Amino acid sequence: MRAVEGIRRSGIAIGPERTMREAAEIMERSGVGALAVVDGDHLVGIVTDRDLVRRGLARRLDPSARIDGLMSSPVVTIEASADLRTAHGIFRTNAVRRLAVTERGHFVGMLSVDDLLINLSADLADLMRPVTAETIIGHRDSPVPATTG
Amino acid sequence: MQVSQGDRIIIRGHRVGEPDRDCEVLEVRGSDGGPPYLVQWGDSGHETLFFPGSDAVVQHFDHADAGGRS
Repeated sequence: MRAVEGIRRSGIAIGPERTMREAAEIMERSGVGALAVVDGDHLVGIVTDRDLVRRGLARRLDPSARIDGLMSSPVVTIEASADLRTAHGIFRTNAVRRLAVTERGHFVGMLSVDDLLINLSADLADLMRPVTAETIIGHRDSPVPATTG
Repeated sequence: MQVSQGDRIIIRGHRVGEPDRDCEVLEVRGSDGGPPYLVQWGDSGHETLFFPGSDAVVQHFDHADAGGRS
C-alpha cells in the first residue's frame, strides 16, 4: 500500500500568518490534531495540538500569536508513492506521530501513527480469522483424493 | 478529484455519532481542478486550504443552471 492510500482523513492547511486561536478552533471543529502550515505552494511547518499547549499556553503566548512562532519546522515528510513500510521506518527513527505526505514537493495529506495502527489491526484481523475459526470450530480435514489401483 | 469553485465538499463523520461537515470551495489552487482548495467551512466560517482524502465527497454545483434561468 502506498503512503497516500494510508491516509484516513482529509488534510487541512493554514497560512503561517494565522493565529494560535484560529488553529485551535480549526483543529477542534475538524477533529484533527495537526495542521499543515503552507506558505504559497510551500509546506513550511506542522502545528499540532501539543505545540499549542507546550509552545503556546505553557509559555503564556497571546492567543493572537502567529502560528509560525509555534509550528515545527522543518517537516518530516514521506513521498505519496512510497510504501507504507517506509513510513514505519521513518516513525522508528523520528520522534513524531505524523508525517506530511508530499507529491512532487507539495503537501497532499497527513499520515499518522493512528492511521498505520488501524491499517495494521485490520490486517491482523484478516490473518486471525482462519486461526480463530479453527480454534472455535475445530480442524477441518480435507477429503483425501480417491486413488485407483 | 475534480472540483470547481462553488462546489460543496462533504466530509463524513469518522466516529459513531459524529456529524458530517461541509465546506464551500472558494478557489481551486491546484491544476486541472485538483487540490489544494481554499474552502470555507459551513459550521465555523473558517477559511482553510483543504486536501481531500477518502473521507471527502464532492457535491457538484450545476454552474450552468445557476446562471440565471428565469
